[in-house]
Amino acid sequence: MGAALRFNVMHFMPYVHLPENHKEYKSTWVSFPNKYYDPHKGLDLYNQYLSQLVLADKLGFDAIVVNEHHNTVYSMMACPSLIAAALIPQTTNARICVWGTPPNFTLPNRLAEEYAMLDVMSKGRLEVAFPLGTGMEYWSNPVNPATAREKFRESLKIILQAWTEDGPTTHYGQYYTYRFLNPWPRPFQRPHPPCYIVGTGSPETIEIAAEYGFGYASVFVTQQAAAELNDNLRQRAASYGNTLRPDQFPLQTWVYVAETQEQAEREFFGHFQHFFEDFARTSPQFLAPPGYLSTDQLKIRAEMADKMHGGFDFNAISKSFFIAVGTPEKVANQLGEWSVKMKTSHFNNVMHVADMPHWKTVKNLTLFAEEVMPRLRSRSTPSYRMAAE
Amino acid sequence: MIRFERETFVINGVKTVVFTAGHGEPVVFFHGASTLEGFEFCQSWSERHRVIVPHHPGFGESGDDPNLTEMHDYVMHYLELFDTLRLDRFTLVGLSLGGYLAAKFASEHGHRVKKLALIAPSGMIDPQHPMIDMLAVPGEQVPGLLVSNFEVMKKFLPEKPDLDFMAERYREATTVARLLWEHPGDPKFMRYLHRIRVPTMIIWGDEDKVIPVGQAETWRKFIPNADIKIFKGAGHLVHLEKPEAVEAMSNFII
Repeated sequence: MGAALRFNVMHFMPYVHLPENHKEYKSTWVSFPNKYYDPHKGLDLYNQYLSQLVLADKLGFDAIVVNEHHNTVYSMMACPSLIAAALIPQTTNARICVWGTPPNFTLPNRLAEEYAMLDVMSKGRLEVAFPLGTGMEYWSNPVNPATAREKFRESLKIILQAWTEDGPTTHYGQYYTYRFLNPWPRPFQRPHPPCYIVGTGSPETIEIAAEYGFGYASVFVTQQAAAELNDNLRQRAASYGNTLRPDQFPLQTWVYVAETQEQAEREFFGHFQHFFEDFARTSPQFLAPPGYLSTDQLKIRAEMADKMHGGFDFNAISKSFFIAVGTPEKVANQLGEWSVKMKTSHFNNVMHVADMPHWKTVKNLTLFAEEVMPRLRSRSTPSYRMAAE
Repeated sequence: MIRFERETFVINGVKTVVFTAGHGEPVVFFHGASTLEGFEFCQSWSERHRVIVPHHPGFGESGDDPNLTEMHDYVMHYLELFDTLRLDRFTLVGLSLGGYLAAKFASEHGHRVKKLALIAPSGMIDPQHPMIDMLAVPGEQVPGLLVSNFEVMKKFLPEKPDLDFMAERYREATTVARLLWEHPGDPKFMRYLHRIRVPTMIIWGDEDKVIPVGQAETWRKFIPNADIKIFKGAGHLVHLEKPEAVEAMSNFII
């Protein structure tokens, strides 16, 4: 029997009330003036977004995914653990995925404790992912991008040591000294909540996932890059003696389901364009602070950057990324096809985009849960089974 | 004109490229936070001096060493390089970040420095005349900040966007970030500046957009005998904009 398909709802909780003159700003990240944030509007948005995620749990989605960004309209989740804490008492079955706080922006013991708290409070529903953090976050937090990757590795080691070894233990490293690493509480799940690395596929982050046997939650990765990333990760993991399961390759998709194809495209398109043009708009400088990338990676990404941040060509983007928009039948077929191609059983679906109104998001979630999930779950053709196994 | 010869040394594991021209009393030039604008300006000194221009680790043709994380590591690097080159005592000239390094070297190892010349040096924490945080300046805006007359910069810049050029600047910015991202200023540097007792010249352009010329007077507080020369109508790279600035240094280092 194959592993069950898994459906997440991933939310960014954007601040959607951009000022009329927002195009005057090259970036809606890092330096975009926070005078444009109205806490009253923010309150309404938090309530709306939280209700969408609570609905996702009721509708039978397997997991709810929250994430961390700073200084940007793109996300109001500067501290995703707070969102997770708000969701836990309002949800019953869905896994709560904090994907996640960059360990570099907090203290490793504190992150180990924070996640352990959420895991205990949710009775073991927590999953975590460790991002390095985008380049933009390194302009917003007082952490050196040039040493970010080494520091990240050391933080990860400390967190796992805190979760897997009986304390007190010690850690004497380059960035941190722990004379008594002994965090209370400890995670509900043993040895620890399921872990992923989250990233855009840099060789360094893939290596970490491979070494620890973690899943890799790729974000903003093109179809071709994702296929290469997954194959590469499987091979690298094998070299450490780790075999990864299909559910350890969450596939980030943008999904919008409606009654007809035409209606789906009409209802979705504007928000998606707004997302790429305005919410993901940032500058090359902010994307790559000094030392954040190797010079080789810098060259590769400099050529990609225009496509991904701020430029919009729907045909190019829909071919590049995993975007399923249409009737339940079409979306189910599309996801089924990607499941086989990418050898994954795990869909990380973005179902609210930019300024998408509440009613569309609710409809999207409902149609997906009631019309798409049953279609995919009832299929057990050999190819799907093979993909899931 | 005497041509520079290029030599490569390995100093404590770091490939270090050194350009040398001429004979006579040695003069060492420390470049700034980029090798972009070269060092041709000091070629004329080679008629009377042995001119030595090393590329700092992480810049230009020298290799990278991520373990060099503070200015003091560069002081140690140069102690070892100068020993290797059998340079006992020499005149030290430093530009911008290289001026910071030269002053730091002179405050710690004054007996090895005959004379010190600083061109718009960084390193000073001066709240009344703050330096621009160059790490926060978008790459495309950097060249315009360096000079008063942009024509001077043009020959150092590619005509079209050039990925390799951009990558090299990114690499040099990475080296600077290792040193200065978290702490752009080090109060300890100023604490020991008074130890500089060798003849010192400080030159500055009065239109410097990177480090305000007002900092020149702040330097005087730490090095009271310094000969400060301000050049009108020049920016940060005053030595490229004003031949008189190079001439003043030439007369000083003789």
